[in-house]
Amino acid sequence: MPNVTVTVNGKSHTVDVAPETLLVELIREKLRLTGTHVGCDTSQCGACVVHVDGAAVKSCTMLAMSADGATVTTIEGLANGSTLHPMQEAFREHHGLQCGFCTPGMIMTAVDIVNRKGGNLDEHTIRDELEGNICRCTGYHNIVKAVGAGARAMAGGGKSAQAAE
Amino acid sequence: MALEMSGEYELPQAREVVWKALNDAEILKKCIPGCETLEKLSDSEFQATVKLSIGPVSARFKGRVKLEDIDAPNGYKIAGEGEGGVAGFAKGFANVALAEAGEGTKLTYKAEAATGGKIAQLGQRLIAGSAKKTADRFFENFVAALQDYK
Amino acid sequence: MSATGIGAAVRRKEDQRFITGTGNYTSDITRPGEVRAYFVRSPHAHATIDKIDVSAAKRMPGVVDILTGADLAGDKIGGLICGWAITSKDGTPMKMGAHPAIAADKVRCVGDAVAVVLAETLLQARDAAEAVQVDYGVLPAVVDPAKATAKGAPQLHDVAPNNLIYDWHLGDKAATEAAFAAAKHVTKLDIINNRLVPNAMEPRAAIAEYDQGNDALTLWNTSQNPHVARLVISAFVGMAPEHKLRVIAPDVGGGFGSKIFIYPEEVVALWAARRVKRPVKWVSDRSEAFLTDAHGRDHVTHAELATDANHKITGLRVHTIANIGSYMSTFSSSVPTYLYATLLSGQYAIPAIYAEVDAVYTNTAPVDAYRGAGRPEATFVVERLVEVAARELGLDPAEFRRKNFVTSFPHQTPVIMTYDAGDYDASMTKAMEMIDYKNFGKRKAESEKNGKLRGIGFSTYIEACGIAPSQAVGSLGAGVGLWESAEVRVNPTGSVEILTGSHSHGQGHETTFAQLVSDRLGVPIDTVSIVHGDTDKVQFGMGTYGSRSGAVGMSAISKALDKIEDKAKKVAGYMMEAAADDIEFKDGKFTVKGTDKSVGWGDVTLNAYIAHKFTGGQLEPGLKEGAFYDPTNFTFPAGCHLAEVEIDPETGKITIANWVAVDDFGNIINPMIVEGQVHGGIAQGVGQAMLEGAHYNADGQLVTGSFMDYAMPRAADLPSFKVDTTVTPCPSNPLGIKGCGEAGAIASPAALINAITNAVGHENVPMPATPSVVWKAAQGGMKKAAE
Ligand code: FES
Ligand code: FES
Repeated sequence: MPNVTVTVNGKSHTVDVAPETLLVELIREKLRLTGTHVGCDTSQCGACVVHVDGAAVKSCTMLAMSADGATVTTIEGLANGSTLHPMQEAFREHHGLQCGFCTPGMIMTAVDIVNRKGGNLDEHTIRDELEGNICRCTGYHNIVKAVGAGARAMAGGGKSAQAAE
Repeated sequence: MALEMSGEYELPQAREVVWKALNDAEILKKCIPGCETLEKLSDSEFQATVKLSIGPVSARFKGRVKLEDIDAPNGYKIAGEGEGGVAGFAKGFANVALAEAGEGTKLTYKAEAATGGKIAQLGQRLIAGSAKKTADRFFENFVAALQDYK
Repeated sequence: MSATGIGAAVRRKEDQRFITGTGNYTSDITRPGEVRAYFVRSPHAHATIDKIDVSAAKRMPGVVDILTGADLAGDKIGGLICGWAITSKDGTPMKMGAHPAIAADKVRCVGDAVAVVLAETLLQARDAAEAVQVDYGVLPAVVDPAKATAKGAPQLHDVAPNNLIYDWHLGDKAATEAAFAAAKHVTKLDIINNRLVPNAMEPRAAIAEYDQGNDALTLWNTSQNPHVARLVISAFVGMAPEHKLRVIAPDVGGGFGSKIFIYPEEVVALWAARRVKRPVKWVSDRSEAFLTDAHGRDHVTHAELATDANHKITGLRVHTIANIGSYMSTFSSSVPTYLYATLLSGQYAIPAIYAEVDAVYTNTAPVDAYRGAGRPEATFVVERLVEVAARELGLDPAEFRRKNFVTSFPHQTPVIMTYDAGDYDASMTKAMEMIDYKNFGKRKAESEKNGKLRGIGFSTYIEACGIAPSQAVGSLGAGVGLWESAEVRVNPTGSVEILTGSHSHGQGHETTFAQLVSDRLGVPIDTVSIVHGDTDKVQFGMGTYGSRSGAVGMSAISKALDKIEDKAKKVAGYMMEAAADDIEFKDGKFTVKGTDKSVGWGDVTLNAYIAHKFTGGQLEPGLKEGAFYDPTNFTFPAGCHLAEVEIDPETGKITIANWVAVDDFGNIINPMIVEGQVHGGIAQGVGQAMLEGAHYNADGQLVTGSFMDYAMPRAADLPSFKVDTTVTPCPSNPLGIKGCGEAGAIASPAALINAITNAVGHENVPMPATPSVVWKAAQGGMKKAAE
């Protein structure tokens, strides 16, 4: 079996994987970081979004081997120790989650949106940018609010200024 | 069966030649898209392995190809049915008619296809296109194969 | 109101683990030595199983075993059942076909399991599944419920000739016919309530483990009601006695009804774990979920409404064909009967109602409760009829409704229910103000100037929640009682553990239940923990569905807290040498009435356990109480949703311009959570009305079997909602709660379709009103207008 070396949440791992192993399987099953979820098998739901070299990726669409040498951040690596990332704070503050299953993917996507588009996001942009993430619980209303507030907090150096990445 | 297709080809070969080719296992094997094996069980029945991919699902289908309603040299019905394991199944048939057209032959076909299981579930939006493409490819291959067929 | 008590928008306690990725869902769990299960499923909708050859597959790498329906039967594992008995008009019981967890002789829908492969890894199990050879004898299939009972239709179960499970009725037929005979006007509608796939984002999963030494089984699964799962798997499937079977439902990623039911895969996992003596883990992929989760809705209905010369509704009658699918799922029979026809009176005083329901088998996935379960179907029938009647009579839909609202309570409908409290005009009036109803005409004119169509639609819905008084549901055929249990354990240091039979899978019970405790005992919510979802910890419970956890589950906690308070007062009495009757308890402090003598909560809890101030003869030590609460009535949340849409007639694109919801949920524990429930419900209802539809082709293939073809509502499909409440406390439970979980999904489809039909100018707009449907409808409407 080939092995891959990835840095996940700041820690380097070298793991043997079957060639067909997906990045999400590596993360969940080999590294036991189960915060990254699997909600579909057609890369439509976004529950599996992580950051690879700083950009949002659906980890169910990427082979583990293609992540060789990459730096990966999962939901578990977003907070700065016990200080939550502003986007995590915003999801809690604005009730942007119910069952929590879509939440890790939503938060990782939201951080990526802010990284790309800045902290001043209007509702329309947020809704469009969430295109690849499905939530069955919230009706998106509070997710949209949370992303907007989280974006402002990230830009304004809110409660916890630095993203952990 | 939901999908219906039809087509028409003008062939320079005489009708007898075309008919013979339509009953030739080697020719059929060459023409059925994705066909990996085709073994004759009888004059009108073959065992086949065909590799098909539709949308995100690709699988090796094992099944039978049968020739029915044989009316030499006017035409027949060629029907196939294969199980692709977890991917599901695919089946279809084509009614092929041959008519004399001057020196050559006019081939017309009417075909229907259906799929089931995962291939139907996930490949739905692509099935119509794939089925049509598969039918077209078969007859295109057939036209090509006839060129040096005696 | 304290900052963490009843009525406060407390931020959720459970969020910490979900936002940091440290939740614990079933698929996150691994057990040492586990094998992975992968099901071989039928690609045919209807076929005999002629032969299964597993020999080649068994030799493949990593394969531990491959089991079939014959093995299951050989081990005498029973089938799955439907737990609500419905009786046909002629008094015969419903016709329930056998439902083995793995099909043995015949498959009845695509996705029916025919074998299960157990292997060291999932990949190996999947590979081996490819090599299992199944010979099917393909049979013709029927998928359309309206055709299932036709002569010559394919027959699914021998016990149910013509695929008819029951033909049931409710109401007074003669009185209803008389009302229609005397009617001034009759409004008629044909309605298809489209089939939906619940699609909770967490796919179902099950892990089963066998403890050989104790001959006991443990099941972790994605369940809304683990105790009911244990009861069914024990008593009906016969897997193991209840005390030898532990069911744990950890964090569950959404349910919406679909995780109430007992499914084949969890039965198979348990059985297989015992056979191979290793833990067995099964996780559904989304493709399997589409095929095997119980679907929702799927009614074909003809409905009529009679009105008199004064525009009073005098009668309503419906005939509904309900598609039950290939097998009767756990509560499938109750959904199109007692959860549907009993709500056909809506918010209106209707003297005569008659409903007939035929439930039929088809070669499709089983259909059972999905958010709202029967009540969305009823609301859609009533609210479409009322809106169309108003249009036909040339009345403002609000005026017509007002004229017919129930205004005095209690109100006995002709279809069983007794509405206990409500103010329907109040919520409608508030909603109309919020959406600026009186200026709708101006907005419509504005849209028309831009070449757009604009419409507004009402839905003044009612639902029966707080499910349900046990004796009442028992008399209607339910196989279980629908009370709830609670246990309050107070620790010596004063922290509190609440054990509840309710189950949270997104509803936020860890917060709202703690708010109740904080409010009652005056303790900070951080010192309260909620324990649920484990049959070894919680003695029994009926689970969460039917918007029952507030009204029923919290009422049980409240009852147990009463007992805690009584006992704590006794302890305080001994501490302060006063009679328990003279002790007042407020804000966490026990005071001797009329004095300044007091002791705090923590002192009392400690003294309850050290027991130094009283003898064993005087008082039992400890502070732990339990209660079972059985409601005395259903609760009746009601309200008004108003949808305003703008349609581009050139493209059929619908823009939801405004959405207002004013709901009466009785007393509210946490308004933030309630609003979230409403938002989510509306999204699912809007999904049904304009996006979602499970479609089987004539061969029984599910052609909308993935997120590529089944349109889930996404962020850009929806607007922000304006949500508010009116309050009439529920008189039937101690907390005055009515329940809020399903309202949005119940109310919204009718509001949206009423708005779209209002915009296009005719009633012929089926669900889902996709752009192509709406485009056609808009073109048709303009043609009609031009004539
Ligand atoms: S699991 Fe990756 S997109 Fe759904
Ligand atoms: S919170 Fe449940 S799916 Fe989004």
